[in-house]
Amino acid sequence: MLHFGSRISSRRRGQFAFVLTLAASAICGLHAKPAHSTRSGATPAGQVTYNRDIAPIIYRSCSTCHRPGEAGPFSLLTYSDVKKHARQIAELTQSRAMPPWLPEPQSAKFADEMRLPDAQIDLIQKWVEQGEVEGDATELLPAPKFVEGWQIGQPDMILKAEKPFTLPASGTDTYWNFIFRVPITETRWVKAVEIRPGDKRYVHHANILVDRGEVLRQREAEPGAGFGGMEIRIESQVFDPDSHLLFWKPGTVPYVEPDGMALRLDKGTDLVLNTHMQSSGKPEMIQPTIGLYFTSQPATKFPMLLQLENDTKLDIPAGDRSFPVGDDFTLPVDVDLMALYPHAHYLGKDMRAFATLPNGTKETLIHIPQWNLNWQAVYRYQKPLRLPKGTTVSLRYVYDNSAENPMNPNHPPVRVKGGNRSTDEMCHLWLQVLPVNFDAKQGDPRMVLQEALARHNVEKNPADFEAHYNLAAMLQAKDRLSEAIGEYTIAVRLRPDDATANNALGAALLAAGHPEQSAGYLQAALKARPDYFDAHYNLGFALAGQNDFAGAAEQFRAAVELQPNDANAQANLGAALAQMGQFAEAKIHFEQALKIDPNQAIAKENLEALEKEMSGH
Amino acid sequence: MRWNNLQPRLIVMAGVLALLAFASPRIALSQKSAFDLDGREVNPLSADPGKVVVLVFVRRDCPVSARYAPMIQQIAQEHSDRAKFWLVYPDKSDSPAAIREHLAAYGYTLPALRDPGHTLVKMARVQITPEVAVFDRARRDHDRHLVYEGRIDDLYISASRTRPAATTHEMEDAIVAAMAGKSVARSEVRGVGCYISDLE
Repeated sequence: MLHFGSRISSRRRGQFAFVLTLAASAICGLHAKPAHSTRSGATPAGQVTYNRDIAPIIYRSCSTCHRPGEAGPFSLLTYSDVKKHARQIAELTQSRAMPPWLPEPQSAKFADEMRLPDAQIDLIQKWVEQGEVEGDATELLPAPKFVEGWQIGQPDMILKAEKPFTLPASGTDTYWNFIFRVPITETRWVKAVEIRPGDKRYVHHANILVDRGEVLRQREAEPGAGFGGMEIRIESQVFDPDSHLLFWKPGTVPYVEPDGMALRLDKGTDLVLNTHMQSSGKPEMIQPTIGLYFTSQPATKFPMLLQLENDTKLDIPAGDRSFPVGDDFTLPVDVDLMALYPHAHYLGKDMRAFATLPNGTKETLIHIPQWNLNWQAVYRYQKPLRLPKGTTVSLRYVYDNSAENPMNPNHPPVRVKGGNRSTDEMCHLWLQVLPVNFDAKQGDPRMVLQEALARHNVEKNPADFEAHYNLAAMLQAKDRLSEAIGEYTIAVRLRPDDATANNALGAALLAAGHPEQSAGYLQAALKARPDYFDAHYNLGFALAGQNDFAGAAEQFRAAVELQPNDANAQANLGAALAQMGQFAEAKIHFEQALKIDPNQAIAKENLEALEKEMSGH
Repeated sequence: MRWNNLQPRLIVMAGVLALLAFASPRIALSQKSAFDLDGREVNPLSADPGKVVVLVFVRRDCPVSARYAPMIQQIAQEHSDRAKFWLVYPDKSDSPAAIREHLAAYGYTLPALRDPGHTLVKMARVQITPEVAVFDRARRDHDRHLVYEGRIDDLYISASRTRPAATTHEMEDAIVAAMAGKSVARSEVRGVGCYISDLE
């Protein structure tokens, strides 16, 4: 009686994790540096002076980034600093290019809003018009005391990119991914993350993807080298949706999660830092570090990242100045909305999201009238928004593919569709939601959300491969196998050459007890991806299920070759060989399996049975 | 005995020609020139009469200036047989040592001038860094025409917004036109970057 173990691989649409960062840097008194003022005594009425009126604005809204070691290209800390860029400051604050903050003000306020009130913009204008008067030295408040180095104290663990990346002196925007291996030996709970991108002047923004299966390592040419790419996706094996938005842009300060909301990191997890960089005119060495802050408090609340999107509808004719795309999703459970992350590429223009509650009230979630890819950000609400079950979340984005759009990468404009490259477009809105008011006995509300979203996507786009695949994976996770098989079948019909979908369908058919139906799909998976461990493994299982042990052995042998340290594959190879009467070789593999994993039950049982057999009972 | 007290007087002839105002201004440099990094007065328009002269105005603390460095260096090298480039630093607080460091950091092999009095700035009518002034070849009386002044290209929409790629190339077009003795359609196109007037 030989037993085989089975493995199922499923993939979910790529998600990435972000950290929300929030901060108010402490402003403590320092000795005031007396600036040489040109006059003392009373200031004429109506006169704007640096010392009294402008310095506080600069300290509060500019200096955080415009100081050494931070993102600004020059410092703005003193009168002489500001005077040297005065007209520029007046121009950029008037147009609201600086400080960089894309959303309009709204009633659901965001934390850390970097937006100058109109009155302050006017003051700056007046100050420059009046000749940039310095003013009375006694009216100058001391500069804020900024925290140097790690913003919230020494991290518990510091990860440094293995190799620096050389950003070339010139060229288009660069997207580079650094992989950080997390050297933990057991599960840890992370309450805060600080991303230090290496050189804040040249990294425009960065976000962390939690790679729980160390999958993205395969994309490195050699270990530690990193790899390129703007939009990165991770396949995952189990229902373990991303939960946190781990993001950095200039001005970001780490956010410490309240008790119960920590991010879980298991042994064998990589953190992948996706960075967007811009050339400076000379080569720059970029070597980021990440600081992790642990807590002993495990997570008791489980937020999740939901992605509203409608990439399929992106088919923007050349010259179209106002191409709208939307999506509407109705929440199946009560949630608190904590943060969001809107995303489009170069052609995005006006981006808006709103929620319509069951009682009819409408709440603007975000409105960005003039999208700028370079200043994308995660926006966290000052207070989470309660969105009851039945709330419809809507996104309405407008794209400009005309020659008049200065951000259009194509001259003349060309037809643009949805996709992963920077020259494609995207229509995404990530929501960090925390399910509330649920009965845990009725199951994981996140699964309810995920399934509802998957169904919504399937209805929206019946030809959407991803949507069918994800729905299938969701159903399989709930053991609704025949429905899952139905969805996997549609996915495979949509993309007959997709290795993952074929493997998933094969595995599901196996699980449902139909090895003879599964073999064809598993072979298709292997045709598309000959080094697909899971497909070899599953096909071995399928062939064994049809008593083709020679075929099974061949497949398990291939699997073992790909991953010699997989105890299950070793055990199953042994089982197939034993069925063929090749006891000596079978024994070797059972022993190998037990060496890797002393608790490998199948190997143990089979080895005992084999030894009995060999000794003639 | 009477002695005549003859005091020899040294008359400094600046060799200045009047500045004539034309639609495309003919420029001559007064004795208030700019300075090379060794402190010598230099008149970039009187050297290299057979070449087009390009003055590139930059600030060390201007990220827009910085980003153009590889392109400026490359174009200067490409056209070196017929065009002479100078980097001009109008910030009076830039020391020669600091400028030398800046040149090395950005891989510049071009000659650099300090223009603390903004003589070249005013002559070239530039307002922003980076902006350039392109002069045609000198005539027999050593006059040159200012063919173009302004931005290098349209890469920057505003100081914090760039296009994916430039779609116009005013500096290079002006150099090519000047080399052929022609003019350009727009002899002045304002640039985006940092203000030279903020340095006053």
